[in-house]
Amino acid sequence: MPSKLLKIRQHSVIPGFGITMGFSLLYLSLMVLIPVSMVFLNSSSIGMTAFWETVSSERVLASLKISFATSFAAAAINVIFGVLFAWVLVRYSFPGRKLIDGLIDLPFALPTAVAGISLTTLYAENGWIGKVFAPLGIKIAYTPLGIIIALIFISFPFVVRTVQPVLESMDIEAEEAASCLGASKLQTFYKVILPTLLPAIITGFALAFARALGEYGSVVFISGNMPMYTEITPLLIRAKLEQYDYAGATAIAAVMLVISFTMLLFINVLQWWAGNRDRSV
Amino acid sequence: MSIEVTNVNKAFGSFKALNHIDLKISTGELVALLGPSGSGKTTLLRIIAGLETADAGSIIFDGEDNTEKSTQDRKVGFVFQHYALFRHMTVFENIAFGLKVRPSKLRPSKEAINGKVRELLSLVKMEELAQRYPAQLSGGQRQRIALARALAVEPKVLLLDEPFGALDAKVRKDLRRWLRKLHDEYPITSVFVTHDQEEALDVADRIVILNQGKIEQMGTPEEVYDNPVNPFVYNFLGNVNLFHGRVHNGKVEIGSLKLDIPEHAKKDNKEIVSYSRPHDIEISVEDEGKGFIPAEILFIRALGPVVNLELKRTDSGDYLEAEISKERFKELELHEKQKVYLRPKDFRVFIPEDYVI
Repeated sequence: MPSKLLKIRQHSVIPGFGITMGFSLLYLSLMVLIPVSMVFLNSSSIGMTAFWETVSSERVLASLKISFATSFAAAAINVIFGVLFAWVLVRYSFPGRKLIDGLIDLPFALPTAVAGISLTTLYAENGWIGKVFAPLGIKIAYTPLGIIIALIFISFPFVVRTVQPVLESMDIEAEEAASCLGASKLQTFYKVILPTLLPAIITGFALAFARALGEYGSVVFISGNMPMYTEITPLLIRAKLEQYDYAGATAIAAVMLVISFTMLLFINVLQWWAGNRDRSV
Repeated sequence: MSIEVTNVNKAFGSFKALNHIDLKISTGELVALLGPSGSGKTTLLRIIAGLETADAGSIIFDGEDNTEKSTQDRKVGFVFQHYALFRHMTVFENIAFGLKVRPSKLRPSKEAINGKVRELLSLVKMEELAQRYPAQLSGGQRQRIALARALAVEPKVLLLDEPFGALDAKVRKDLRRWLRKLHDEYPITSVFVTHDQEEALDVADRIVILNQGKIEQMGTPEEVYDNPVNPFVYNFLGNVNLFHGRVHNGKVEIGSLKLDIPEHAKKDNKEIVSYSRPHDIEISVEDEGKGFIPAEILFIRALGPVVNLELKRTDSGDYLEAEISKERFKELELHEKQKVYLRPKDFRVFIPEDYVI
């Protein structure tokens, strides 16, 4: 029905669509769109060929691969443990629950450099945890594995905090109904509980992934910053800036932005699909 | 399948939800658990389903002890007050759920599941809504789907927790008639919880009246309505008028009215309360010298074949309700603020020391 699609403004008892929408767009422009568009404007100053040469260099491609792969891995791992954490916090009551609940936000409050330094000390070959893995031939600090650990740390709260309220408001009767119908606990979990949590999980994943992509402070310390091996894109951009190659830096930034935006858009579509399945007419 | 509940106790903290409950339900019966909120009726139902564990006592299905069995293994159908449908599944998927989660050895073929779901959809008269989601259905439709879902696994016992409680009056009446019909066609042992006495009287073969975790009375609707064992049951099943009086020389004295009561004749000079239903109140316009109770009409509601009168006794100031037929109402030419005389035609006497309301 095209007429329905064209109708942007819906009747509401609260007036002020014009002013609220206008203000939102202004704010979005000032805070997001204009700064972001500067990236494209700056990078375009070097011309197509130079732009292409910069962004298709082996070092840049390797850094993009590392950035996206480690961020994806960190977000995926956070989904599994984030759901587990939210589950434990909502479904069980135990002494110290409130304390653990408060600790979850700590990675947000901590300066990322502090996180990077302490993680490096722990996971380096002579650190407490690194010492355990070193004899097994597993190096953690100064490898992509170290980057993943730093990214897990800084993006940990997202999935917990998005899944927790959904789990809290979830109707326990649906689970009881499932068990009356003969479903095992496992079946109840993945057929009844998980689909209900899916939109929140996807949101948490998207937030964690986006946060991990932009992370810089903690990774610098633990990754060792070896080009082609543990050099992430934000660091490469910074390196270019230090060499006064502003156009080159923004060119890489532009590519990263486009990829990130495409992925986030895709995640949003996925989330819309997950959230609207049961409401579509 | 028969259900036997023996000596079940359940407490939530210091609150005793159920207190030594003994109950036997025979195969194919439709039983109502009736009681006010907090009487323990839902707790009892949930204990039968295994959703709650009893502190003591046992639940026996067909002679087999099920007390330790999990809900999953009890094979009961349970219908929740707020439907508890799976929101992310279509109507079809909801009904098929119980069959699809069976272990592969016991799971019917895809065609068999489809056939079963179609059969149930036609039973609840909702064939054309198979692909809808629960959010797109009305309350009555959701509850019918919930019922179809529970029936899909062919349970031997059907338990319904205030199944029509969240629905409006008209839908409620339709659905309970439909449930009665369904039960007559598929006589599966059913227990339903309700706080609505009209619903219980209308649908059930037998009514179990609960109050404060105890069974007050059990019996057919006629038995419990006509012969309430105590003031609580009397009060709970329909409107009732209270008359305070004394027993004296084998007669009850209420104001100037004297009535025979053989069953309490020996309890002389005692305070009593007699109970009478509004339709058992006789009204006359003139004092016929038999010691009728004088009263004044406060309000008349003349809807349908029965006329409801609200009265105030002029001797004691107590408020009373009476129901008379429309013909009688016209005959007497009653109007508001009129002085009338009344007498309970049928009543029961309880001695307050025995029962506290």
